[in-house]
Amino acid sequence: MSDRFPPMDHAKNAAEFTADSERAHWHDRALWFVRQKRDRAAKSVPEWESLREAAETIKMHTMEHLGFYLERFESQARRNGIEVLWAADAEEFRHIVAEILREHGAEKVVKSKSMLTEECGLNPHLESLGIEVTDTDLGERIVQLAGDHPSHIVLPAIHMKKEDVADIFSKHLHTDPDNADPFYLTRAARDHLREKFLDADAAITGINFALAEEGGFVVCTNEGNADLGTALPSLHIACMGLEKIIPSAQDLGIFTRLLARSATGQAITTYTSHFLKPKPGGRLYVIIVDNGRSRLLNTRHNKALSCIRCGACMNTCPVYRRSGGHSYGYVIPGPIGSVLAGAREIERFASLPFACSLCASCDNVCPVRIDLHAQLYRERRAAINVPSYGEKRRLLHLAAWVMQRPKLYGVLMKTVRFVLPLLPRALVYNRFNVWGREREVPEPAKRSFSEIYRERR
Amino acid sequence: MNAKERILHALGRRDVPKELPAFDIGPMRFSDVGAAFSEALEAAGGETVESRETSAETIAGHFVFEGRIVDTRESVTPTTNDRNIGLLIVEAEFGVAENGAVWIDPKERYPREVLTLAENLAVVLKREAIVPTMHEAYERIDFAEISYALFMAGPSKTADIEQALVIGAHGAIGMKVFLEGEG
Repeated sequence: MSDRFPPMDHAKNAAEFTADSERAHWHDRALWFVRQKRDRAAKSVPEWESLREAAETIKMHTMEHLGFYLERFESQARRNGIEVLWAADAEEFRHIVAEILREHGAEKVVKSKSMLTEECGLNPHLESLGIEVTDTDLGERIVQLAGDHPSHIVLPAIHMKKEDVADIFSKHLHTDPDNADPFYLTRAARDHLREKFLDADAAITGINFALAEEGGFVVCTNEGNADLGTALPSLHIACMGLEKIIPSAQDLGIFTRLLARSATGQAITTYTSHFLKPKPGGRLYVIIVDNGRSRLLNTRHNKALSCIRCGACMNTCPVYRRSGGHSYGYVIPGPIGSVLAGAREIERFASLPFACSLCASCDNVCPVRIDLHAQLYRERRAAINVPSYGEKRRLLHLAAWVMQRPKLYGVLMKTVRFVLPLLPRALVYNRFNVWGREREVPEPAKRSFSEIYRERR
Repeated sequence: MNAKERILHALGRRDVPKELPAFDIGPMRFSDVGAAFSEALEAAGGETVESRETSAETIAGHFVFEGRIVDTRESVTPTTNDRNIGLLIVEAEFGVAENGAVWIDPKERYPREVLTLAENLAVVLKREAIVPTMHEAYERIDFAEISYALFMAGPSKTADIEQALVIGAHGAIGMKVFLEGEG
């Protein structure tokens, strides 16, 4: 996936997003509202922190024994009549899916939300083979029709306004371009997608939780698109990143209580669907995808593999809310996306660890207690060493050199305090003063702390 | 090496793990699970109906719909791709007080797609079959017996357009749970 994006600059992308200040403010408020709903839901469960700790423990345990649990899952799923396939990378994954579809002569596919297929660029590949892929989650259908990408993992079209949707739907679904009522537009999508469901030859879904002991899996949606999509065609291909495995169904009690409350503030998703066997006369495939995950497991970012993709870290992040998901230039945005992108390819994503105020709000809402801000802090050390940060690195080295020389530092600061107020504005707020672009440089104090301290001690 | 071997090799150890300790979650309790269930279901856009009598006619009286009534409690097998189910009546094995979800397992009684194709869904649930939380819910399920089954909490919904909640995305537009038994 990352090869689809050129090296990116978060600050530059964010500037584009914030150029429309009204829209950026709406985005900020909308996500803060979701965060507040999450808070209310979490507070309504007295044992919330015990649940988070248990979820963290289960995930860490599973990551330590991934090989065992994945093999266990495979043999149990086979016993249930599910066919299990493995893909080491995105290309292998795309190839496997295309082969299965070809074998079954499937030409029309309905897909329900899966960030993995987005990560692996499945849609463009299948389309290049003449297969029609319809994303059926409303938000994903909107961005698909717009030729866009999701900007949030749970709320794919959160960067769009209803007027944008009215415009897109009027072109593709022939709705009234002047009617931007969400109810009207959702009903139009329901009718349009119902036809796609009834017409499909195959269904592709993601997986929220794969159960090693039972050999089945769980898919969570609010719209019912995974259920309707998989119920009609005789072929169902479910795709999972290998970190989606949990030991057994008993653990679901913990995860289903955390997931929706963290994601949208609902007590549970509308549909929490358990797939254990193929439907009568049907075929059910599970594809286990690595695509860089096993490499992550052996790094200091291994805890990021515990992520259950609720999006809570995005909704709470002061940077994400104000810069929009596309500014991250990676399939998964926000704090968790920054960690994953940086761990994958720090040269390309070096700006992401700096798109963070280290406020640690993400750590506190994460249902599996990933230490996101600490991971981002550590990632900065790798980021500062990439070539494009040469200038910043040299400046920091210079600053460190000066700070190790207290006398020189004292003289320099005294000069600054004296000279700065005398300088014309244009000279201070020049293009090198990135900090002063949106802020006023504070008035220098008349005397330094050291001077005052020496006088009074 | 094939993909599976490459992946397992990269993951390293494959020894049998020690069993996870039992977690002392101390899950929440409700003085009245029925009332908690109703409140949670309402928050999820559904509705609870107290009903001593759950004939198809009585249930149908609680919905406004066009199209056929399919009562899966009788031995009628609805046809696949049936576009005209106005009201589907199903039984749930149990409900969950903390979130208003009901456990629905079609088994061999009806094809799974009718659950999402139907415009309205009526779920019949025994009042005594409501558990407090998802922990107790999962203890009740025998996964060896399941092909496809789901927890459903309220009607299908979406908020993908400007976070405005719209009831009725792809599945049922109306969902009501009929509580049988003494209150």
